[in-house]
Amino acid sequence: MKKFLLILLVMSVGFQGALLAQTKTVTGTVTGGDDGLGIPRANVTVKGTTRGTPTDLDGNYSIDVAADETLVFSFIGYTTQEILVGNQTVINVVLQPEVGVLDEVVVVGYGSQEKKEITSAVASIKPEDFNKGNISNPTQLLQGKVAGLSITRPGGNPNGGFSIRLRGISTFGANTEPLIVLDGVPGASLDAVDPNDIVSIDILKDASAAAIYGARGSSGVILLTTTKSGSATTNISVNSFASISDIANTIDVLSPEEFVARGGTDFGSRTNWVDEMTQLGASFANNISASGSIGNTNYSASVNYRNTDGIVSGTNNERLNTRLNLGHNAINDRLRLNLSLANTNSNFEAISDEAFRYALIYNPTAPVFDDLNTPNDGGFFQRNLFDFFNPVALQRQQRFGGTNENTLLTFRADFDITDALTISAQYSQNRNSSLRGNYFSRQDPATGFGQQGLASRQNDDFLSEVYFTTLNYTTELTDGLNMTALLGFERQNRRAEGFFAQSRQFLFDSNRWNNLRAGALVRIGDVFSYFNEDVLNGVFGRLNLNYENTYFLNATLRADSFSGFGADEKTGYFPSVSAGAELTEIADLGPVSSLKLRVSWGVTGVLPPSNELALPVFGNGNVVNTPGFGERVALPQVRNANRFLRWEEKTEFDIGVDYSIWDGKITGTMDYYTKDVSGLIFSVPVPVGAPNAFDPGTFNTTGNTFINLADFSSGGFEFLVSVNDVKLGPVSWTPSFNFTIYDKPVIESLSDGDLGFEFLRFATPGSPGQNNNPIIENRVGQTLGNFYGPRFLGVDENNEYVLSADINSPDDFEVLGNGLPDGDFGFANMFILDNWSLNVFVRGSFGHELYNSYRGFYENRDAGSNTWNSVVTDKTPNIVSTPTFSDLYIEDASFIRLDNLELGYNFKTSLDWLTNLRAYFAAQNLFTITNYTGIDPEVRYRDTENQDGFTSNLSPGIERRGTYFLTATYTLGVSFNIK
Amino acid sequence: MNTNIKRISFMLAAVVLFGLGACEAPDQEVFSGFTPEDIENSDNPAVLAVLKATAYSTIVGSWGGHNSIWSLHEVASDEMVITHKGADWEDGGQWIRVHQHNYGPTEQSIGNGWAYLYTAIGEINLLIQQYPNVEALVAEMKVLRALVYLWLIDAYGNVPIITESDTDPTPPTVPRADVFTFIESSVVDNLSLLPESSVNTTLNQTSARMILAKLYLNAEVYTGTARWADAETQIDAIMNSGVYSLTANFFDNFSAENEGSSENILTLPYDEDNAGGFNLAQMTGHYLTQETFNLQEQPWNGYATLEDFYNSYENNDNRKLGFLVGPQFSSAGARLEDISAEDSDPDGEPLTFTPEINELRPNSLRQAGARVGKFEFESGAQQSLNNDYPIFRYGDVLLMKAEVQLRNGNAAGALTFVNQVRQRAGADPLTVLDLDILLAERGREMFAEGWRRSDLIRFNRYNDAWWEKPASPATANIFPIPQGQIDVNADLVQNPGY
Repeated sequence: MKKFLLILLVMSVGFQGALLAQTKTVTGTVTGGDDGLGIPRANVTVKGTTRGTPTDLDGNYSIDVAADETLVFSFIGYTTQEILVGNQTVINVVLQPEVGVLDEVVVVGYGSQEKKEITSAVASIKPEDFNKGNISNPTQLLQGKVAGLSITRPGGNPNGGFSIRLRGISTFGANTEPLIVLDGVPGASLDAVDPNDIVSIDILKDASAAAIYGARGSSGVILLTTTKSGSATTNISVNSFASISDIANTIDVLSPEEFVARGGTDFGSRTNWVDEMTQLGASFANNISASGSIGNTNYSASVNYRNTDGIVSGTNNERLNTRLNLGHNAINDRLRLNLSLANTNSNFEAISDEAFRYALIYNPTAPVFDDLNTPNDGGFFQRNLFDFFNPVALQRQQRFGGTNENTLLTFRADFDITDALTISAQYSQNRNSSLRGNYFSRQDPATGFGQQGLASRQNDDFLSEVYFTTLNYTTELTDGLNMTALLGFERQNRRAEGFFAQSRQFLFDSNRWNNLRAGALVRIGDVFSYFNEDVLNGVFGRLNLNYENTYFLNATLRADSFSGFGADEKTGYFPSVSAGAELTEIADLGPVSSLKLRVSWGVTGVLPPSNELALPVFGNGNVVNTPGFGERVALPQVRNANRFLRWEEKTEFDIGVDYSIWDGKITGTMDYYTKDVSGLIFSVPVPVGAPNAFDPGTFNTTGNTFINLADFSSGGFEFLVSVNDVKLGPVSWTPSFNFTIYDKPVIESLSDGDLGFEFLRFATPGSPGQNNNPIIENRVGQTLGNFYGPRFLGVDENNEYVLSADINSPDDFEVLGNGLPDGDFGFANMFILDNWSLNVFVRGSFGHELYNSYRGFYENRDAGSNTWNSVVTDKTPNIVSTPTFSDLYIEDASFIRLDNLELGYNFKTSLDWLTNLRAYFAAQNLFTITNYTGIDPEVRYRDTENQDGFTSNLSPGIERRGTYFLTATYTLGVSFNIK
Repeated sequence: MNTNIKRISFMLAAVVLFGLGACEAPDQEVFSGFTPEDIENSDNPAVLAVLKATAYSTIVGSWGGHNSIWSLHEVASDEMVITHKGADWEDGGQWIRVHQHNYGPTEQSIGNGWAYLYTAIGEINLLIQQYPNVEALVAEMKVLRALVYLWLIDAYGNVPIITESDTDPTPPTVPRADVFTFIESSVVDNLSLLPESSVNTTLNQTSARMILAKLYLNAEVYTGTARWADAETQIDAIMNSGVYSLTANFFDNFSAENEGSSENILTLPYDEDNAGGFNLAQMTGHYLTQETFNLQEQPWNGYATLEDFYNSYENNDNRKLGFLVGPQFSSAGARLEDISAEDSDPDGEPLTFTPEINELRPNSLRQAGARVGKFEFESGAQQSLNNDYPIFRYGDVLLMKAEVQLRNGNAAGALTFVNQVRQRAGADPLTVLDLDILLAERGREMFAEGWRRSDLIRFNRYNDAWWEKPASPATANIFPIPQGQIDVNADLVQNPGY
């Protein structure tokens, strides 16, 4: 690594000396003729070359050109201008709005393309469209903004991850989320970037666009671009805010009086357990970035710090992110070097999910503390009953915490061999290192007093190295027919390694996980380490044709070889073709200023969830005593190999329209797509003990093998319309509305070779009593993830359930609903009045159901209801039966949420060094309209209680009892620029 | 121009060279774990010893845990029951169905039992296949496989026979009588190659004879043809070897440190740290039993003894001490109080295990039922216990000897063996013996050792009615083939009646 940096340094210095004398730096500002404001991300290119730069957030740019060259200034919705440089060093340009030609640049795989040439489903989101407020994760910027892109985080856990689904699910395993490409680095971690540093996000929605990423493209691709400076002057921007979070929703329970009146055991106190556990969650964040250029070297650096306290004490996330992007142009801008370094350090603190459940259902007459109890309990009230633990004790006695460090280093060089031929090479290294600790107090009865404390430490390191090189050739083939061709090679190496240790029987709690040696007992399995590595090699090409800016054709082909497939199945081929026509170039369509029709088809793949599935592996068993060799670790075959394991394949067809009416007053897109996914890898039961059909000559020593099991198909319709600058008196209103209608995935096959299934059932409600009845069925010919079970028909004279089928007769069950939505929508509104701006964003999902686990366990006046508190909702019937699953607990969870509201004021300053001074107030999750009675009606794409990636993705729609309380967040902030 | 071409050529060459590398299909290495090649290429003699011990460790596996084949044998018999305590232990009704012999092919325990046994078959066959020329190893593994098939023939009856040379990925069902022959020949052909040692954690000639004795003893059930004399031959050989004897104290065979028992012929060597899986304290203890034994984790309040079975012991029978019953105390001697005892519980809050169980479902009292105390629960025990679990025990040999004699009409001879066992337990000697009395004695002696279901079937009592269990059809005498296995192996035939 060090050597690499040294080479880089030498190269940079070397090229500086090679600078040609006749170039000079031209700077300037690109402003819009409509409002006089700077246009961010406008394109400044040197005519006849591939050189160029985008403007910064204020419209400033800086570029090295020769006097005889011509600069081309362009931006979507504005007429393009060309200016001969001559002897000017400052060129300020006012672009006049004139829509009809969409010539915005869109980042696509391994390059960029003018938007007008795009013939597949691609969405681009700019900072002005981003969500506002306390945003901690880059994808949160997009939540609800892109039709077909669903970003969810049920509950309000500050450490909780977001589920990202683009056009629904495309695979079952570990890679259901879109590939993240950060500044050209495929597979980069979202942890490597702070939302503040992002200047554009491009989403490759269909397989045609994603096929250039071949084996990694099936779940779609999200390309993030961070700040690059184009400005000659130093610009410092600052954004600071503070937030307060509060409970927005939980589920109501009986008051202590109601509980006692109902027959509950009265311990004499009156405790509101939710209040005991919660607080106002305070957060703050500071972001400072500086950008500018020195000679031919431009830089952009930023520091982002955030600290977020959850509404439950003991939950916290603290994060420090630093980023440096350095660019250097040499040899008359023919050589462009870029170095990017990003580092994110974060700390987290968390508590047990179980504390949330007990906070709701623990006996409300129990006191928090109980001096009379045994000293074992740490003074907390505890009773030795089944499933009965003091939530405050749990919150304080089970502690989880750790650190995570993510480093992304990228070096890129582009060289124009000729004006038409550019060679590029990029090397990146993304390193993630996490170290976490868990501690269960000596006094924690939930883990058992007898353990006398349990502490563990776990370290997981992940390294991904990607090296690719591309050749890009642009030419005019014949008059009016332009061609761009790309050829590329790529190699990706991934390495994961880690270490775990735990011990028990401590004398003190004070050391938590920081002194494992103080624990007297270490069992077999209490210490382990692991290492694995895989390699992906890829060759890819792309051909773009543009005839008279009217007809467009785009074709790609990629071949990927992955180490983790069967010996003869390692290489997969991923082609795509797409075509488009700009109809306004063919005929006069009146008020329609642009209407592009496009059709695309493509094939993508997905990497398997683990890289050793094709190999039989002997692993670690019990410690055994062997005559003559003492104690050894047994060596069972722990995996049934599948030597025929092959690529999953997604084939997607998309037809779409991009339109613009009345010179860009109304713009939008529509897409209809269908996709077929085949050979989905899934772990399925096999005849245990029998000869392994997938690894002839061996025997199945476990009950499951990973095979290319399933096929399914799905589709959808996406719609986006924006209206620019509607005048409501003095107020300017810019609404943008998008929605998606999903054609939910239908399972077409669950078989491979001779092994086949009619259905697969998963996800039981859990303990007590409901851990034997799966409530999700995936059946061939039906929608993925259907709820199935008995129907609730009413109650009998004894207030017992009357159900349509016995809970233990699954063959009599019915389909009761589905957790996947019929559609999502987002409605963004920007209002501007003088210096005031107001953003109001509403989003929602509809047509999805949720299983309300709290009701499913804690609603009835059953035998357990004197021990546990009950939840009360407007759907609660009067039932005394032992809780049993039925559609009574499946609720329609359609919702509309005022997700994001931001009121901002731009101060006019007379200081020329201070610009863009802005104060804002933002509120997130202000209210939700829904009939759902649980904690959060948000779509659940995965089952959080099921850590098996496969069955968890096939079990949507379950709101588990450990759901973090839903929060609302209020933010006050200020931002400004200093020049 | 010339330099330009050179420059371009050079760069293109570099790209192509890299590109050639990018076209290669990369190999996958294993860094945490071992491939068959690693094992094959190792010259470390310990590897073979470890693989052999691995085969044994697969049968240690989950035998003694909840939802296992052991659970199935016990709860389907008249010894034990798992009642519903409200939602607690409802578990899809599985344990009620098992108790009432209404079990179906989808019961978890029926699938778990099959998986446990056939995992062992898979491991054993792999090992034989890897070392086909190590004669003693192959012999021992074939007998170990026969032991697993003994459990399979008893529980599932008609099952596929899979040997090391088989390649059919969907091995078909084989009739029970053929499985019988396979087990018999596997043991008979290899017995002389086994060690004569008295080590009780691996197979020796005595345990091989026990496999045959159990097989012949049940031959009428398995094949329709009784083989009492063959059973007696094997039993006599074991008794005449003189290696095994009854321990003075019955409970020494079930203590946490029972390795040295002179009575245990074959055990599953559980270890709380190294070989977990025997969870009886958790399975049977009340939540508060944690405080009696200072258990590391809260027990689950599941398995209890049927009242009639508990009452089959006379009061002076020491074996009756093998239950947790009556008032319960903490390790410090304080009376334990279950503050959420049901209002209907006549014993109120003080924790008292009553032999009487008020109802099977839905609201069995939490304190109801005598608990399994036959195995020692060490103070401070973890979820997994240290006690080695006896599979074959000399006390059983004596009762088997008594049985074959009785079945041959020699009740007087049989009585001497029965009374040896009773005498050790401090119980009064019996003076008369018939099959029912012998069955009851087997129950008292072999309680919680996993044989009761098999015994009831052999004595034709399994289909009788007992507490909260109506008479059951003879088809219940073998369990169904797990539906999950039939789903993936079309050549399996479901047992009759399911």
